[in-house]
Amino acid sequence: MLKLHNLSKVYRSDEVETVALNSINIEIEQGEFVAIMGPSGCGKSTLLNIVGMLDSPSSGEYIFMDEDVAGYSEAQLSEIRKHNIGFIFQSFNLIDELTVEENIELALLYHNIPASERKARVAKVMDKVGIAHRASHMPSQLSGGQQQRVAVARAVVGDQAMILADEPTGNLDSAHGQEVMEMLQSLNEEGTTIVMVTHSPAHADYARRTINLFDGHVVTENLRAAE
Amino acid sequence: MIRHYLKIAGRAMARNKLFSFLNMAGLAIGLAAFILITLFVHNEFSWDDHWQRSEDIYRVEGTITFPVREDRPTPNAPGPVKDLLEQSFSGVEAIARHIVYPTTVKVGETLYAQQVIHADNGFMDFWNVPLLAGDSGQALSDPSGVIISERLARTYFTNTVALTDVLGSTISVNIQGQMKMFRITGVAKNPADTTHAPMDMIVRFNRQNFDGARWFSDGWRSNPWKTYIRVAPDVDVAAMEAELPKLLEAAMPPAAADQDPARRRGLVLDLRAVGDIHLYGNDSSADVSSLYGMLAIAFLILLIAVINFLNLSMARVAYRSREVAVRKVVGAGNTQIMQQFLGESVLFAFVSLLLALVMVEVSLPYYNAFLNAVIEIDFLAEPLVLVLILLLGLGVGLSAGSFHALYFAYLKPGEVLYNNSSDNPGGSFFRKVLVVGQFTIAIALMTVAVFVNRQIEYASRVDLGFDDQNLLVVSGVTADVSDTFKQTLLSSPFISAVGRSSDVPTEGSEDRLQILPNAGGEKVTLDGLPIGPDFFSVYNIPLAAGRYLTNAEPDILRSRLEEGEYRGAANILINAAGAKVLGFDTPEAAVGYVGQVNLSTSLAFEGRIVGIVQDFHFDSLRSAIRPGVYYVDQMRIPDMTLRIDSKNRDAAISVLEEAWREFFPSDLLAYREMTQMVEDQYQLDMRLGTMLTGFTILAFVISCLGLYGLAAFMIERRTREIGIRKVLGAAVPDIMGLLLWQFSKPILIAILIAGPFAFLFLQDWLQAFAYRIDLTLLPFIGVCSATLMIGWVTVFGHVLAVSRKPPITAIRYE
Ligand SMILES: Nc1ncnc2c1ncn2[C@@H]1O[C@H](COP(=O)(O)OP(=O)(O)OP(=O)(O)O)[C@@H](O)[C@H]1O
Ligand SMILES: [Mg+2]
Repeated sequence: MLKLHNLSKVYRSDEVETVALNSINIEIEQGEFVAIMGPSGCGKSTLLNIVGMLDSPSSGEYIFMDEDVAGYSEAQLSEIRKHNIGFIFQSFNLIDELTVEENIELALLYHNIPASERKARVAKVMDKVGIAHRASHMPSQLSGGQQQRVAVARAVVGDQAMILADEPTGNLDSAHGQEVMEMLQSLNEEGTTIVMVTHSPAHADYARRTINLFDGHVVTENLRAAE
Repeated sequence: MIRHYLKIAGRAMARNKLFSFLNMAGLAIGLAAFILITLFVHNEFSWDDHWQRSEDIYRVEGTITFPVREDRPTPNAPGPVKDLLEQSFSGVEAIARHIVYPTTVKVGETLYAQQVIHADNGFMDFWNVPLLAGDSGQALSDPSGVIISERLARTYFTNTVALTDVLGSTISVNIQGQMKMFRITGVAKNPADTTHAPMDMIVRFNRQNFDGARWFSDGWRSNPWKTYIRVAPDVDVAAMEAELPKLLEAAMPPAAADQDPARRRGLVLDLRAVGDIHLYGNDSSADVSSLYGMLAIAFLILLIAVINFLNLSMARVAYRSREVAVRKVVGAGNTQIMQQFLGESVLFAFVSLLLALVMVEVSLPYYNAFLNAVIEIDFLAEPLVLVLILLLGLGVGLSAGSFHALYFAYLKPGEVLYNNSSDNPGGSFFRKVLVVGQFTIAIALMTVAVFVNRQIEYASRVDLGFDDQNLLVVSGVTADVSDTFKQTLLSSPFISAVGRSSDVPTEGSEDRLQILPNAGGEKVTLDGLPIGPDFFSVYNIPLAAGRYLTNAEPDILRSRLEEGEYRGAANILINAAGAKVLGFDTPEAAVGYVGQVNLSTSLAFEGRIVGIVQDFHFDSLRSAIRPGVYYVDQMRIPDMTLRIDSKNRDAAISVLEEAWREFFPSDLLAYREMTQMVEDQYQLDMRLGTMLTGFTILAFVISCLGLYGLAAFMIERRTREIGIRKVLGAAVPDIMGLLLWQFSKPILIAILIAGPFAFLFLQDWLQAFAYRIDLTLLPFIGVCSATLMIGWVTVFGHVLAVSRKPPITAIRYE
């Protein structure tokens, strides 16, 4: 699905130069569930942002679905992102002024899909994540777990092939965290590629493969023993 | 999609009610002010564009030129001009001309003052005056027919129901002293409010009516006709105008053989587009530059309002960055984000525009009363205005939304989505620049307003050089009864003095006389004023040297008894300025001087200066006092000035009315008060000053709305910091000082920028006044302090609230 080759990211400010990613080589297959772990500041979010095309690398290659996207323009990246990648964040990033239903629908608004079809797809995905009974609530009226489920629904409603999740359980208690993990797992079983950053080894266990980062390097890659 | 945007815009507005209100109120006030000003200016520029084919109609305006004195521009042309134009230019489709004749009309037993139009052939077709009753083709075919406007019909015949009832009624019109009967043959639609030529009463021009009138002749010597031409649509009018001097030279009679050709009185004709007459015509009193000034103010206020909007929107960027970032993550492109926010601010602008139109509608009656105008918004009648107003809304919306739309379009979603708190986004420097810009304009406007008003106030206190209190001016006193009429008035105990002259102060004189100066050489020009010997005493104008004129024979240049003949020599007076241009160091030195005085190029007498009066204002109070010469001419002193007893004003006026009825039974008495005439001189300026003040206040209100919103926002951002400071030991006054200083800085910078601009402008503006104030620093310092105070009052509530908050709430805030 995607391949990073000698990929680096350097942040430059006036005085200091921070190497957030240092010659990373990673390959992720279609349908994989990958967890990324590592201490704070080691570059996990940076990596996820580059994979998700919210940011661009300083050097190296990024092959996404057989295309080298490293030199692509914002508009081109946005176009690829729109059709292929969904995001889930630690702070759920729902829009306060929109209802649950509208928040999810937002992900279809920029896809030229007629309103009736949008409604149908949103209804279906709300059912799937079990939030249908809260469709017309505002985000502030939901628990954290429920909010994150809305965020998951929003990430998948456009039939994205890959979901990038940055500490999706970071703000949740363990019960709610478990719920979200199970949801991701079932999505993965339906064929969605999932790349997830987490600090929780238990949650990393849901993934088939774990990449450990340290100071911008890939240290180890563990494959979970087949069950 | 649009519904989605509307929804989110509406909810975002509802969530920040204060911001939304400040934003909308500021923009609405700004738009309302802009619309009010531009409506007035538009109204001024759109006079006389309602005639059929207005753009092809021109008035022929004659300027009489003199080799030695100032040209005299008039709105009229001599009679032969009509034939000349008709024969010379095939592009002239039609010519219409009329004489405007102010006179008295008698209906039943009541007298009315009325301007009567004596219309030459073709008038009705040319102007296409629509008749509400009567037949426009026939109405003037009868020489005793008269057309009156609907409003006159309603004034003259108060219980008129149907206008056709008025037809056939008779009225009398005073023409050259004789009451002539006319029968009403037509009632015309009321003339437009915005025309230089209101046609309320039209009769057919009849040559016999003006036989023997001094001002009327068929030849080139008199200049009585308002002459209009209509040209074919593609005619080059400028080329026509360029040919006129040559044609005139060929057509006008040559000077008498013995006359020096260089001293001939000449004529220049201009073709003035009918739409330009109100502002640029030879008889226009409009002040076009102040119209442009007002327009500039309109745009400045709009600019302030747009800056306000920009600023408040930018301040709120943080609240909506998350939304934008999420949108981008789910696939919105830059253009879509731009569209959303531009659309939002355009929508916002239109809502404000609607609000502004309501404000305009509500304030128009007062505005009209103040401006003495009839401005209205009628979208049905003028769809173009609707289009322009919609464009205004669109333009304001787009420019006001441009910055935050751009900011959002280039927002990096990653930077926002990983943050829980919405950080102060970039652009805080930019926002400060905007506040400074806003206050720079407001302070500059305020400074200009203060000095303009001070100048107007100063000018209105200028020493007139005469006593303008308790003076009534009556015009049109004919020479034959002048003396007896005066004696009748003086027999009343309520009238203490009566003085006569050809014109009165504030009107200026048209006569320019040449006098040989003391040192010889070129003759110098002085303003001439025919007077009676009683003129200076009624105005209380003191002597600087010598004596006043009397009724003694040597003091009289032209006597009523000598049938219009000037004498070869007479005693004269001059003013102090006159003594100076004649080359005398002191007024005393001029007494006894004898010099040749030219009344016109061909008429001169020997004048002996017997007295010098102190300078007094006779022309516009804006201009410096001109050198003047005064001589007794009993034939040309129709203006009578009465000094009345202030305690018995009404009694004095009834004495006047009674005497007038006795002497001039068929003329309506019209008297003017000198104080009013003096005040009228300032009226335009005063109105300008009041308007400037009003709109400056609006500019301040808008700026303060912006400052208020910004203060709320900034303080909210700093709540945590302030809590920490307090934990560390800062007291309430320290915090308040800190915050007030923060809000004073942009105002102080604005003062530094606004000052020089305002002063440069004022320096230029004051040049137009002969008597002007000094540009001192003190009023400016006053403006600056006032601005700071206003700024402090605006933010004080917020500052106090946050300074007093217990630190723990501030720290928990997040
Ligand atoms: N915009 C930026 N400018 C400069 N340096 C940055 C920027 N973003 C990240 N960094 C630096 O890059 C490095 C990696 O940051 P990153 O956010 O990827 O870490 P992380 O592994 O996600 O940490 P955490 O587990 O705390 O979220 C850090 O040293 C960070 O300081
Ligand atoms: Mg991170």
